[in-house]
Amino acid sequence: MSADPDEELVRRVGAGEPEAVRTLVARKLPRILALAARMLGDAAEAEDVAQETFVRIWRHASGWRRGNARFDSWIHRVTLNLCYDRLRRRREWVTDEVPDIVDPAPLPDAREEPHRVEQALQAIAPRQREAIILVYYQEMSNIEAAATLEISVDALESLLSRGRRALQMILAREGVHE
Amino acid sequence: MSDGSRNEPAMDAERFAALAAAYGGDLRRWPQADRAAGAMFAASETGAALLGHAGKLDALLDSYEVTAPGAALHGGILRIADRHLVQRRRRRVWWLSLGLAGIGLAGAVAGLAMVSIVTPEVPSDHYVLDANATAFGDAGPDGETIEEDL
Repeated sequence: MSADPDEELVRRVGAGEPEAVRTLVARKLPRILALAARMLGDAAEAEDVAQETFVRIWRHASGWRRGNARFDSWIHRVTLNLCYDRLRRRREWVTDEVPDIVDPAPLPDAREEPHRVEQALQAIAPRQREAIILVYYQEMSNIEAAATLEISVDALESLLSRGRRALQMILAREGVHE
Repeated sequence: MSDGSRNEPAMDAERFAALAAAYGGDLRRWPQADRAAGAMFAASETGAALLGHAGKLDALLDSYEVTAPGAALHGGILRIADRHLVQRRRRRVWWLSLGLAGIGLAGAVAGLAMVSIVTPEVPSDHYVLDANATAFGDAGPDGETIEEDL
């Protein structure tokens, strides 16, 4: 396994160095916020999740040891778990049993292309959304994404394919994608 | 970016289509071990068509951007971190004080134990304090004096 680029920084955060804390926030906050925003489709909730994620980081940094996952994968897992807590509270389906197309009705408030994409992402199964966000937007390798989701690479590819196919169908229905 | 290895020497249309369907039209997102073979296949008409189709969805995904973290969120997270660091320092001082107090108490207990072990035990019949005892000894009539008197 290759070296973890965050390991030394996390050690310094664990030792209570204020400069390391600022560096970690500058490095990770944009990624965490983007992940939560795309998972939840709600900017305010995403900010709450980002704050909670950092509270977990401060709490665990001094004892954090690299196991099988990199620190970046670990914080992605923490963020995703916090997102799932909120999705459950919204009574959304959280399993992969959800059909590719959730709702045949037209997407609400679909006036602009980016907004339609956002709505389409929210309409697919959360596990498929998670896989697309990690690989496409967070630019994780397939191995890192599979480790973060605790699934095999083959299972990840299956989620990605089904997720992208579902997005194409939803967007085609909206006239955005042919 | 993807760096998974499947050790596939060549790529057929089926595998190429599966990868394009999963990772999109940009080969930089594909597993690293599949990129070279994928690039060769992409030069074919079928390959170009598959990448083009996947690339349309990529373009739509790219259009969905999220806002960068604001100063308020950034500052709030740093303030929480400061509070956490202060609390942790206090906890460390508290545990250090507790540890030192524990060491002091253990020393005191050990000292008492040593004193009780080292100090010889006084036999109960070595000295009997009775009504005739003084600082100079027993003031009562001893046996010899009694005999002389007799």
